[in-house]
Amino acid sequence: MKQKATSALLNMILIVCSVLTIMPLVWMFCSSFKTNIEINSLAQNFFPQNATVQNYTDVLRKFDFLRYFFNSLVYSLLITVITVYTSTLAGFVLSKYRFKGRDLLFSMILMTMMVPGVVTIIPRYSMMQLLGWLDSYRALILPSVFTPFGIFMMRQACASVPNELLEAARVDGANEFFVFHRIVLPLLHNSIVSISIFQFLWAWDDYLWPYLMIRSDNKQLLSIALNMFSGRYSTDYAGLFAATAIAIIPVIIFYIIFQKRFIAGISASAVKG
Amino acid sequence: MKPAAISAPLRSRSEVALRSIVVCFLIVFFAVFYLLPVIAVFIGSFFQWNPLKNQMIYLGLDNWVKLLHSELFWRAVGNTFLFAAVATFFRIVLGLALSNALFSKLIKHKSVYRVLYYIPTITPLVAVTFVWKFIFAPRIGLLNQMLGTNINWLFDGKYAMAAILILTIWKDFGYAVIMLLGGLYSRPEECYESAEVDGASAWQRFRYLTLPLLKPTILFVVITSLISYFQTYIPVLVLTQGGPGTQTYLASYLIYEEAFSKYNFGYASALSFVLFLMIAVLTGVSFKISGKGDSL
Repeated sequence: MKQKATSALLNMILIVCSVLTIMPLVWMFCSSFKTNIEINSLAQNFFPQNATVQNYTDVLRKFDFLRYFFNSLVYSLLITVITVYTSTLAGFVLSKYRFKGRDLLFSMILMTMMVPGVVTIIPRYSMMQLLGWLDSYRALILPSVFTPFGIFMMRQACASVPNELLEAARVDGANEFFVFHRIVLPLLHNSIVSISIFQFLWAWDDYLWPYLMIRSDNKQLLSIALNMFSGRYSTDYAGLFAATAIAIIPVIIFYIIFQKRFIAGISASAVKG
Repeated sequence: MKPAAISAPLRSRSEVALRSIVVCFLIVFFAVFYLLPVIAVFIGSFFQWNPLKNQMIYLGLDNWVKLLHSELFWRAVGNTFLFAAVATFFRIVLGLALSNALFSKLIKHKSVYRVLYYIPTITPLVAVTFVWKFIFAPRIGLLNQMLGTNINWLFDGKYAMAAILILTIWKDFGYAVIMLLGGLYSRPEECYESAEVDGASAWQRFRYLTLPLLKPTILFVVITSLISYFQTYIPVLVLTQGGPGTQTYLASYLIYEEAFSKYNFGYASALSFVLFLMIAVLTGVSFKISGKGDSL
């Protein structure tokens, strides 16, 4: 009897929290099918009364949305591929090789995690200005070639690869490049998926750095374009909701497809962290 | 041959090559993009520095004196501590409560909850903040509709900070749930069984077994949360621009404003350096407390 009551109580807490968690997103998604009149009216309904896809077609027509979307996608994928590769490589070298100064180097990298983004951004801006790289993607990508967080996560993950396996390959005559690419990389798929999602998401969400670097409209990214959108068409909430839905949905789909590996990956790093 | 050389592991040429390449890249990269900027920020704080006019005039301690006497700066520091403390507290409390509830054997469909709770964390912050701007709208916003109130969340000094906190807590609690759940799955079940046999209540088991076992994970979440909340500015930028008055100025937003809307790079550099020191001290203190406080 007592168990039943506990079970009901726990389930209720979890369900209420779930509803509160996804409510804002569901509401936004529903509202993206409403007209502006309905959104701004005093009589609010959760679901659209006269559902319309007008907002979506408007966003795609009025606003060079597909270009921003495509720019963001290319930028985010590029950053993800680069940082996941460099993080895994650095993690492998810092966990599997013994050399002088290794731990010092690693703790220095960890300490850079404490340096706030807004602190480094001022000198980095001047640096790019001096190099004449403003308004180019290389200025956008270069400061993210390595990320301290990625190196930290992948070093943890590499530590779980058994040394015997690496030694066996070496005895068979494999060089270190082969060992890394053909043995270590495939073994770390869970961690690679979870760090990829993090990196993709952060890149997709990048705001200040691209905002400062990119000036030309045709190179602009989606997160900055959304801001312009709300300024330029300030009363057009319906359009904003549709645009936001298009910005959020790819990430959610990506996450749902990979969620099992993703959660396995972050939990694995949590236990050791 | 020296003994040290004998005991060292045999290194192939490819290992030396790979290692050297990676270490060189790491050193150059972190020197250029982290070390150099911190030094530049420190030096820059002694100048009147405007990148648009290509202006750099030596000021001595002027920026620092201005900073220490600035009411806005102290206000922002106070707000930042309040914001970081409250947001971290709720993240940990919700994380602990929900991860323990989810871990219970009485719960089915665990993976569904896990996926749902994590969704806000993976949605892009900038995009989602625009949605919340409308959720906080007076009268017709979703939050007021649900509560049956008519609060002007973003423009009423009593509620503006609460609004930023609500958004932040909603966005971030899922991360703590997943991390702590990971910690729970690695706990030794024998301890719990014997505690139950000995008649320990659920609360006692939580207090004396679960909390100490989760301590490393809690500490990890607390430290990463504090570091990231000390750097929060996007919600302020999108929702309130620091207002009403100076109610929601956070340190990072103040730096953003000084640097990139007023182009006072010198003064912003002094602010940045202070923020950097605050985070460094805070992280150090967290480690110290956690080292001593075994009773947690």
